[in-house]
Amino acid sequence: MNFVESLQIFFVNIGGMLISPSILLILFGSVIMGIIFGATPGLTATLGVALLTTLTYGMDASTAMVALMGIYVGGVYGGSYTSILVNIPGTAASAATALDGYPLACKGQAGRALGLTTTSSAIGTFIGMIFVVALAPVISALALQFTSFEFFLLALFGIVISGTLTSHDLVYKGWIAGFIGLFLSTIGRDSLQFFPRFTFGMSDLEGGLDLVPVLIGAFGIPQIMTSIRDNFKVGETHKFKRIVPDFKTIAGNTPSILRSSLIGVGIGAVPGIGEDIAGWVSYGAAKRASKHPEEFGNGAVDAVISTETANNSCIGGAMIPLLTLGVPGSPPAAMLLGALLLHGIQPGPMLTIDHPTFILEITAILLLASVAMWVCGILLAKQVIKVLKIPTSIFMPVIAVLCVIGSYALGMRVFNLYLMLPLGILAYLMSEMKYPIAPLIIGVILGNMCDANLRRALMVSKGSFEPVFTRPVSLVLFLIIVLMIVGQIPYFQNLQRKLTSRLSFLRKSEIEGNAEATADCQDHE
Amino acid sequence: MEEKKLRQYDFLTSIILILFGIWDLAQAFKMPMKDSYGGVESVWYVSPALFPLFIGGGIILMGAILLINSIRTGGAARFIDSLKHVSEAKLTNETVRVLTVLLALGSFIYILIPNIDFFLSITLFLFFLCTAFYPDHDEFRRTFVIHFIIGMAVFLILIVTGLSDIINGILKYNMDILALLFIIYMNVAARKMAKAREIPVKLIRQVTIVSIVVPLILCPLFRYFLLVPLPVEGGILKLMNLLYYTIR
Repeated sequence: MNFVESLQIFFVNIGGMLISPSILLILFGSVIMGIIFGATPGLTATLGVALLTTLTYGMDASTAMVALMGIYVGGVYGGSYTSILVNIPGTAASAATALDGYPLACKGQAGRALGLTTTSSAIGTFIGMIFVVALAPVISALALQFTSFEFFLLALFGIVISGTLTSHDLVYKGWIAGFIGLFLSTIGRDSLQFFPRFTFGMSDLEGGLDLVPVLIGAFGIPQIMTSIRDNFKVGETHKFKRIVPDFKTIAGNTPSILRSSLIGVGIGAVPGIGEDIAGWVSYGAAKRASKHPEEFGNGAVDAVISTETANNSCIGGAMIPLLTLGVPGSPPAAMLLGALLLHGIQPGPMLTIDHPTFILEITAILLLASVAMWVCGILLAKQVIKVLKIPTSIFMPVIAVLCVIGSYALGMRVFNLYLMLPLGILAYLMSEMKYPIAPLIIGVILGNMCDANLRRALMVSKGSFEPVFTRPVSLVLFLIIVLMIVGQIPYFQNLQRKLTSRLSFLRKSEIEGNAEATADCQDHE
Repeated sequence: MEEKKLRQYDFLTSIILILFGIWDLAQAFKMPMKDSYGGVESVWYVSPALFPLFIGGGIILMGAILLINSIRTGGAARFIDSLKHVSEAKLTNETVRVLTVLLALGSFIYILIPNIDFFLSITLFLFFLCTAFYPDHDEFRRTFVIHFIIGMAVFLILIVTGLSDIINGILKYNMDILALLFIIYMNVAARKMAKAREIPVKLIRQVTIVSIVVPLILCPLFRYFLLVPLPVEGGILKLMNLLYYTIR
């Protein structure tokens, strides 16, 4: 498919969606739902995508993706509402926005702050979309050259990096979570010899664990328990008259927007880590680059713009490995993977061959979702805020019912519910003890890829691990994994610190030597 | 959770992880390694045990690192010390709230959904969970939870002993009628308890409306629009079916 053809398909997709009232209704409806989910503390974009997946059951794949991408985009953006108006991040993705968004609201600029986050979120989503369309075919073509060893190492890399970056306590707690996820993925008949593993003679377990109940259990149940336990109350929101898009300020912050978009896409593309990390990294980068870093934390406009651009561009970033390698870039993308599989679409290198126009469809949906998000954000913010007045003790039980019905409806198996609750309790206990949940999910998703490809690769090499060292991509992945693990060992951390200080000392003495030599030269002259 | 507490619990989790890893390895060794399975001669690298062995080994290794770290940081000693004071430990308000949520979810999933009409199951679950927390009154919640536990214990006994089948054999929807009566009882009890504690009865009324309206929206949505057969279609859902297909 050449560039002109791609462009044609892209615009045909957009046109097709624009002339269909039902698609537009689904798009706007799901974006508004996403904003509500994002704005409500305790609910996340991931849970929104999980619950909506159930309702897309009867739709065709394209329409389902419109709904799911809409709620994903809206959910990531919606978190900024409570961050700015009540200083409570609606989602972890917008936690960094609260640092400067709330002080802006305190200064009586809530409308302006919301306008800036709305526009920068839309721009972030749009830039993320450009990266999807530009990079996805390249990575897909590259991934077609991958052999089983590369896929095994890629899956392992996903689990290790996700564990490393999402752990708030000890790094290996992230890896433990990943390994528990891998264990869960081994339940059922193995894909090569169909041997039943860890099924305990139960026929319901022979097909393995269904992804959606596992995701709903791991993300939904702990949130319900935590919200009710803490008796969370949103409190009074800051008043604002209307949302001002403020294009002039946006235009003045173009370098910040571009930098944050690149950070967002880059972080989104790393398996398992999502919008929250993108927001924080972008905030730090904006502060370092700012001419007035002292204003950060007191209502800096560029801080709000950078965090919101980054977390929304992360969506596009997360879609790249999902579509090209079958490896989700963020927790909501993991949920999207489940939805895609449900609709008979297998993401991965073969996607461009099996469904050549699918990536273009996704980019068209992302573009429309960003526009819909901007329109809803500017026009409906005041109405959405009203939902925050519903007490947690009423809202969360209803969400619990939706989780239960969502887990049941996809496989129509009550057994899924029997699994969902223990998994939810496990996830709750793990998160209480600071074990990240994202690696667990990545482990469940990538477990089969890891297992089947390891054995397939060894079958081809007759039990030899030599190809890991002879194939360039394998070697690079292997070295990264080893370095990430070794880098956590105290002995190597000390060694690294010593080396760094030695190098900086050498550089310093070199500079001093050069300065002395220059001074000597000048004396001679 | 504060750092000290985390290291304390790390000791317990590390032991659980090591034991789990050992169990995983033991199970993996029971899987065919080099022998024939289903008439196919296998080799070690194609064995279904290979990946579980890798996972079990990894979990044991990381559990051991966690254990060493817990011992080094004094978490293990603190944990062992805390065991001496277990009898003095009291349930915190937070723990009670979490246990109440678990009680609601557990009884909803394991007792109500597989046995009672789905509409009534949702109504009972929502009414219990919302009423327990909406008035935000600890003493009220405690008494209300006790009523619910007794009711659920009766349902559990009926189901486990097979009495539910006998009851349903007398009249098809007897268990649903029992659930409906229990909902009404809980409602009346909640109102009385609220009055006695000067909690506005309006709150109970609002919860009642929510617990009826939500299943009234969700059940038809899933049953008639998404065409998902609901887990148990008892008295209320059969009545809905009758109405829906008559109108259609």
